[in-house]
Amino acid sequence: MKVAVIGWELPPAFSGGLGIHTSNIFSIIGKIIPTDIYLPDMGYSFSGYPFNIRTVQVTRGIAGGSYSHVTNFTEAVDDYNNKVVENFKPDGVSVIHCHDWITFSAGIEIKEKFGIPLVVTFHSTEYDRSAYFNPQGDIMKREKEGAEKADAIITVSNFTKRILVEKYNIDPDKITAVYNGVKSSAYTQGQNYKRERQILYFGRITSQKGPKFFMEMADKILQYEKNVKFVMAGTGDMLDEMKGYALDHGFSEKILFPGFVDFHKAIEYYKRSEVFVIPAISEPFGITVLESMVSGTPVIMSKTTGVGEALNNALKSEYWDTDVMSSYAVSIINHKSLMDTLSLYGKYEGMSFTWEKSAIKTIEVYRSIWKI
Amino acid sequence: MGKIGNKNDRGVQINMENIVFYFELHQPFRLRPLRMQDNATAMDIFWEEKNREIFKRISENAYIPATQTLMESGIKSTFSMSGTFIEQAMKYSPKTLDIIEDYVKSGMCELMGETYFHSLASIWDEEEFEYQVREQTKTMKNIFNYSPVSFRNTELIYNNRIAEMAKNMGFRNIIAEGTDEISKNFSPNYRYVAPSGINLYLRNYSMSDNISFRFSNTVWNEYPLTADKYVKWIQNSPGDIMNLYMDYETFGEHQRKETGIFDFIRYLSKYIEDYGIKTIKIDEIAKEHNAKGMVSIEKTISWADTRRDLSAWLGNAMQNEAFNRLKLCSASDNKEIWRYMQTSDLIYYMSMGNPEDFTVHEYFNPYRSPYLAFIYYMFALDNTCSSHNERIE
Repeated sequence: MKVAVIGWELPPAFSGGLGIHTSNIFSIIGKIIPTDIYLPDMGYSFSGYPFNIRTVQVTRGIAGGSYSHVTNFTEAVDDYNNKVVENFKPDGVSVIHCHDWITFSAGIEIKEKFGIPLVVTFHSTEYDRSAYFNPQGDIMKREKEGAEKADAIITVSNFTKRILVEKYNIDPDKITAVYNGVKSSAYTQGQNYKRERQILYFGRITSQKGPKFFMEMADKILQYEKNVKFVMAGTGDMLDEMKGYALDHGFSEKILFPGFVDFHKAIEYYKRSEVFVIPAISEPFGITVLESMVSGTPVIMSKTTGVGEALNNALKSEYWDTDVMSSYAVSIINHKSLMDTLSLYGKYEGMSFTWEKSAIKTIEVYRSIWKI
Repeated sequence: MGKIGNKNDRGVQINMENIVFYFELHQPFRLRPLRMQDNATAMDIFWEEKNREIFKRISENAYIPATQTLMESGIKSTFSMSGTFIEQAMKYSPKTLDIIEDYVKSGMCELMGETYFHSLASIWDEEEFEYQVREQTKTMKNIFNYSPVSFRNTELIYNNRIAEMAKNMGFRNIIAEGTDEISKNFSPNYRYVAPSGINLYLRNYSMSDNISFRFSNTVWNEYPLTADKYVKWIQNSPGDIMNLYMDYETFGEHQRKETGIFDFIRYLSKYIEDYGIKTIKIDEIAKEHNAKGMVSIEKTISWADTRRDLSAWLGNAMQNEAFNRLKLCSASDNKEIWRYMQTSDLIYYMSMGNPEDFTVHEYFNPYRSPYLAFIYYMFALDNTCSSHNERIE
């Protein structure tokens, strides 16, 4: 009995949430079931993980063997998938587990070649990443095919499950939502900071995450409350546009754009703020919501942010409804009782999302399809 | 006590003699989901569409058919109707008022006194409390030509002092929750007096909840609850009176028609007759039964939640901030609006609830969120009340 995972990134070699998820979840699953994880060789060495790492050489679409030197992403992805199939060790493998469209073709081929059941996880879909604006046909095709061929599908929320059902016409009975977790100790321990009348955005500054609605909300808040400031942390293709917005609307002194912030700085921003806002247009999960909650920072989130479906102690609005978002934000900063209650209950609720729960639920999905 | 050992003409042993039904009929004027940008006039703060929709639904499901059923079955009961209930009935369902009027005229229905706004005035402002009770009494007189002599405070909020205030206003009877603590020493199945001398009747909560909460609960080990079985339980209970107090929405709204709740009432009237038990109104109890003793209740109790205290309204920081801000408004311009804002439901919606009460709170909360209840309440105050509650650090 063994799980073979086809991944793409893993700390210390990673560029996003997929790596965090892979690391956290298989560090637990690996202690229960023997696990092989396939990864592209990007020159990193991995140690201390309770699973086998099998790297494969990617030679096409990439110059210099690192994620930042990918010259043709699709080509690199195809080459990686072919190499995984070539190098695959099927002995004792009871389930193959692929993560996102970039690994689906290898998973499908291995399933067909060796008859091993296939699980695919959707951390996001092309609809989310494009914010429904010009989604790429080739990627959608791969996503649909992966979902159709898989024996079981994991999505990070029921919100994403619905996208698969509605957009790709997938049978809902084979899809299980497994929520992400948060390592709350990193946020609950360590230094505390005095909260300020500060409202935080933290994430990529790109249309999917709705930064424009944050700016609109800030503008509306400032019409009622002068004594409040804003932080828009992160980088992305819309950063300059957002800076321009603040200038045009005369509040550039009220908002800080610190650019990329590391893990420790991020915790400080959470803990110094009284409100965290995520106005994402389509966010499959939204792990920053949990990070904020376990930091004791009240959350205002769009209804199109997946984790919200499982939360009672966060305020929700339509992503475009900046009247409502500004009303909620002003209420929180002006009423200590609301701030304190959201903070306390939010922290408690956020801490209930653990990677252990995610890992156990993932194993339950394996159990539903493997033949041992 | 009582007539233990007596038999009626069918040879059935008589134990419990009377059932006392008391029903709460109340609807709040819920507040509209307001945004900071709304410059709401005083009347805009109320959620007209929602209030109408809920009132019409409950009238059709419960108020009208339940009252018809009670009347047809010859069951006596005692109603406590808030002023805000009466206003909404006049606006949204005059038929409800007509049928209640028929029931009152038949002599089978007693009407009680309470605060017009179903408020918490009793716990913080005696003058305001008396004003609101008088307003409600006037309304009963105007609409039903009835002068209440029995009193029930908002959600059975009760202590010796509240009983004394009611006594001083001329009421002869008052009702309270038979909490576990009180029932240990004083069975709710008797007549008592409060230290001020007013007659005190305690709710038999487990027998009441058998109908209001458990009637259609299929996992309850007594399901299905038949009228025959229920009357046998009453008959076998020690004491003089069975005080069954519940929310009137139980009949047809909380327990839908499909559960058989109306048939239950009809059969109940048949079986109690067989067993020689009679329904009586609250003010009739003292004529039939002697007082068993004095019950003194210093600590404030209520019938709400598992804790049976004030925590459903003043249990968290948001509720306290809202309530304190409301009190500061008292000197403000629009006293009428301020009184509607006192309706206890509006603060109840902000309750975080204990885990065991969560379902009940969610059921009644029109916003499904205590946070939104707070936010809308504070915006409503911002629009109608000149006081400002500056944030205290």
